[in-house]
Amino acid sequence: MLDSFVAADVPVLVQGATGRSGRSQTAQMVAYGTNIVAGVSRRDDPETKIPIYRNCREAVQATGARASVAFVPPLDVLPAVLEAIDAGLELIVTVAEGVPVHDALKAKAATREAGMRWVGASTPGLAIPGKLKMGFLPNVSLAPGGLGVMSKSGTLSYEVCYRLVGAGFGQTLWVGVGGDAVKGVRFADLVPLFAADASTKGIVIVGEIGGSEEEELAAALIASGCQKPVFALLAGRSALEGVTMGHAGALIQANIGTIETKTAALRKAGAVVSQSIKDLIEAVTSTLGTGG
Amino acid sequence: MMLLEHHAKEILAAAGVTVPYGVLITPGNLGDLPGIERPMVAKAQVPVGGRGKAGGILKVKAAADLRPAVEKILEMTIRNHPVRSVRLEAMVDYVAEAYFSLAFDADSATIKILVAAEGGVEIESPEMAAKLLQASALPDPASAQAALESLLPALPEGLRAAILAVAERLIPLFFEQEALLIEINPLFIRADGGWIAGDAKLLTDDNALPRQPKLRELIEANPALYPEAALKLAQGFDFVKLDPEGDIGLVTTGAGLSMQLVDEIVQRGHRPFNFCDIRTGGFKGDPSRLIQVLKWVSSGPKVRSILMNFFAGNTNLAELVPLILIALKELPELRQPITLRMTGNGFDAACAILAESGNPIRVETDLERAVEAALAVLKEPDHA
Repeated sequence: MLDSFVAADVPVLVQGATGRSGRSQTAQMVAYGTNIVAGVSRRDDPETKIPIYRNCREAVQATGARASVAFVPPLDVLPAVLEAIDAGLELIVTVAEGVPVHDALKAKAATREAGMRWVGASTPGLAIPGKLKMGFLPNVSLAPGGLGVMSKSGTLSYEVCYRLVGAGFGQTLWVGVGGDAVKGVRFADLVPLFAADASTKGIVIVGEIGGSEEEELAAALIASGCQKPVFALLAGRSALEGVTMGHAGALIQANIGTIETKTAALRKAGAVVSQSIKDLIEAVTSTLGTGG
Repeated sequence: MMLLEHHAKEILAAAGVTVPYGVLITPGNLGDLPGIERPMVAKAQVPVGGRGKAGGILKVKAAADLRPAVEKILEMTIRNHPVRSVRLEAMVDYVAEAYFSLAFDADSATIKILVAAEGGVEIESPEMAAKLLQASALPDPASAQAALESLLPALPEGLRAAILAVAERLIPLFFEQEALLIEINPLFIRADGGWIAGDAKLLTDDNALPRQPKLRELIEANPALYPEAALKLAQGFDFVKLDPEGDIGLVTTGAGLSMQLVDEIVQRGHRPFNFCDIRTGGFKGDPSRLIQVLKWVSSGPKVRSILMNFFAGNTNLAELVPLILIALKELPELRQPITLRMTGNGFDAACAILAESGNPIRVETDLERAVEAALAVLKEPDHA
């Protein structure tokens, strides 16, 4: 079921494969087992072992790549997304921090029009533990298991999953949707996927203040009739209104996007909303049993 | 970043939107107050609503009233924001109030245009909700203009020209400035059919700053009014002073984990001095960012304990710890005990480096234990 979102053996190309970060991350994704088939860059790179092409279209024609992960600077994310659409790719993950919102609006409109799945604008990526990694979710936080994980914050989700793994709970699929105000794949989009996937025994949500994604997620949970246990942690209870708390999307304005509205919506949808990381780990453990 | 009303109005005025005459007063130009020839209003400049209710808007009828009013407002803190400036503004005669805004809808990736034949109350209020007219547009000016025009027939005839005129100026501005929200509430309608912006909100996109030179200049020219944005622009990381009376200082990385840590400390009944996402990835072997942040948190008058948290998922602790040691050597005056929580890549090597240095810094691998240890320091008698 999760295959319909991303298959473990999907052939992946890397946009920006010869940059400082792109090169080292590509090597790590290959080492993790990801089927990286090509890189895209304006220049060749004698240090990389994967074939480098000038654009996505050439890379797709030569290698059959079907997904992309882009290590390009924030102002180059929109062109990278449009290039991936042009090449007919099915999925793109963009990791750059600081993508302008108006670019994200255009990328979102274009990816929707083209039917391409976009994980970004700014995200640590996604992973099927032990098999595939697109981006840089840390290995210490990854293990095969039964949790479907979706997260806004990188660091908070690293900590949560690291401790869940320590308690014996790994993941079926982990998608970092990122902390941007405007993004591609949103929490709610992943609900039908995790609800229908037999190997996913529970869903973990690492959310935060700002926007209305958690509220939409709650509505999607109700609409899907999902009976699986859902565990949520929401950061930013003590954030200052009107000030950006690190993430562009983590901005409370005039009572929209507060912890209170999100908590109420998620609880109404049957989710367990924890106030601390420790409580979340305990909720997962007591519901799913040790090492479930 | 939410611009202060004064700066929002300056930008709107430059785009041809009529705004009341106004000047900005800061503690720096308090000695040089303008004369008062007619009644004015003194308005607290904070990036949140609810100023009026909080007493942050005062009428000033005579020159003698001005200084006391401004000083009173400058002493206020409104919804946790200390008032750092006051806009002194001419009062406006009007016969009606309207509402106009442009924003984006994150889920549908569209632009939302909202207008109403009433204004002056909070947009979220139930009484407003029923009166709002709204249309969606693709993220481009022509589409936004067409959407706006589709709303006009539903507006009272006397208001259409004003809304159209406002839209003609604000739609291009919204896209040029890469705004996230422009709101005029109220839009005052005058007896002669003319219009003027009573209040203005302009939310800009920090991520667009690299290609928005005018916004960059505004922040750089006013670092005292936009401390968080100025810091982010100049240094590339986030630091927000949360509570000047806070008892624990935080040197942490990652926006989400840092926010959660603040929440969990507050839940335990303590008051973090700051939020910080120091971004270890940006250190590149240079301890200066660590030194800067340690200086800031240790300068908190009530800060008696410092908690550092580094989850090295993609960074290397063996590269980080030497920087921490250099930073501490540079700050011999630092008196607060430090609890360092670290885990992840390079942990063993990092511990060996620490042990060799002889620094008595307390290390915890578990975050819960680190928080408890850092808070336990607060229970000890203050030797400082």
